[in-house]
Amino acid sequence: MAGTAAVTLTIDATDRPIRDINREIRAAIGDGASVTVEHPGARHSLGVALLTPGEVTFEGSVGYYCGGMNDGATVRVVGSAGWGLAEGMLSGTVVVDGNAGNGAAAAIRGGTIVVRGDCAARAGVSMKGGRLLVAGDVGYMTGFMMQKGYIAVAGNAGHALADSMYEGTVYVAGSVASLGNDTVVETATDEEQQMLEAAFAEYDLPTPGRFQRIVAGRKLWNFEKHELETWRAAL
Amino acid sequence: MCGIAGYLSKRDDPEPIGRIMLEMLTSLARRGPDSAGMALFRTEPAHRDTCWIRVPEEGDPEAHERRILAGLATVSDVGAVERHRGLLRVELATSATPDEIRGAAERGSRDVEVVSLGKQIELVKQVGHPDDLEDSFSIEGFRGSHAIGHTRLSTESRVDLTHSQPFWARGVADLATVHNGHITNYHKLRRQYEQRGVRFFSENDSEVIGVYLADQLDRGLTLEDALAASLDDLDGSFSYLVASGDGMGYARDPFALKPLIIVETDDYVAVANEEMAIRAALGTGGVAHEPSGHVSHLWRRSDVTAPAAAA
Repeated sequence: MAGTAAVTLTIDATDRPIRDINREIRAAIGDGASVTVEHPGARHSLGVALLTPGEVTFEGSVGYYCGGMNDGATVRVVGSAGWGLAEGMLSGTVVVDGNAGNGAAAAIRGGTIVVRGDCAARAGVSMKGGRLLVAGDVGYMTGFMMQKGYIAVAGNAGHALADSMYEGTVYVAGSVASLGNDTVVETATDEEQQMLEAAFAEYDLPTPGRFQRIVAGRKLWNFEKHELETWRAAL
Repeated sequence: MCGIAGYLSKRDDPEPIGRIMLEMLTSLARRGPDSAGMALFRTEPAHRDTCWIRVPEEGDPEAHERRILAGLATVSDVGAVERHRGLLRVELATSATPDEIRGAAERGSRDVEVVSLGKQIELVKQVGHPDDLEDSFSIEGFRGSHAIGHTRLSTESRVDLTHSQPFWARGVADLATVHNGHITNYHKLRRQYEQRGVRFFSENDSEVIGVYLADQLDRGLTLEDALAASLDDLDGSFSYLVASGDGMGYARDPFALKPLIIVETDDYVAVANEEMAIRAALGTGGVAHEPSGHVSHLWRRSDVTAPAAAA
């Protein structure tokens, strides 16, 4: 891009306090530089609260909450991520080359999270927007109580998928171990299929198979006395 | 919180598991520095059993020791004896059953406890930070095939040696557990076992896991099947590790409430609550993943070690 200085700052995270590392990342991307962090050592809270666009690469695994509260930055993890990947993200992109632990994309409001491997339990819990693309499998209670946005899984989904979701959509190309409460399975439209294949291609993920779509049954939206059994099952 | 860690080598030759486990536990100590311990396993069974015995803090330690050794001498020839912080390590020169050894060592005092027994296991534990383990037990140079370790944040029961982990699955040689979480049906299970004559030494809910596994093995289950059965028989939050003479395994509660990260390479399997501990001890090899809930697995050395000729 014309006018953009192609400056890359390299930070060695070894033995440095996380707060210092994050301050340095913020300052660098604020000045328009890209940042590469070496030896992240799977430590926690790396790259949280990045509030400006910019590219940050972690050359190894990260621990909990990497990319949390991100608002605009593009974060790449050349490794795996621990719990709460990009929790509460507003906008931007977080790409994980390996696998993600519990609660990936928890409560995000926007942006894109890409996991090339698998996610453990509760990916996309309480999502309020944005999208989560997973090339591998997802674990127990993925999409629990999600409200907006979508999750697309090229592999298989674990038990209680999308339990008690309010709104939003979960797409699964593989098998579903079991559905959560108040969910409905539908066939994804050709337009949705094309949109998802384009999204996977955008991040160089393998072309996924044919998706099915899981949405809210909306029976839990309002309490209905004659549907007491639905509530008993959900609670 | 509590921190748990495990390592299993896929090589035939002994690995520096003492150092690896110390580094993993030091990294996990943030999760709880109240007490720390580890169970280290020799690659091959020794000819004789080794037992670790907790010596009562009150009273004359030499008198306690004399009584313990005199008791053991009634069921076996006593070999080398070492004194460590709060624990006595005794090699037994002739065979006896675990029940005979326990009965002989623990006779005469309610406060004597055999904390491990077997031909492969060395189980050390203490109150305090994992950094102190080396001073107490000189384990950094220990080489073997696999190990599990624990660093404790006490939430439900008191901080002393009895309540420290790992816990030996009492009565089964070379079997130990470490647990992160809270077994919520502990009191019910404990009551059932006590009615059958099982003695508990602590009020730590984690102690019941070893008792449970020993009971399942006694009923004829394989260790794999016992781990799988525990997913439904234990309530609450748990990621726990088990180590036997031949392997290491884990079990994780249905809701996946406690973290458990696994890295498996051609050379080893490493497991810990946080990947940080694995990286601190073993570097950047392998891709970490976290299993979902209601999952258990056992790696047996006899399955995962490839003989050089077959490789």
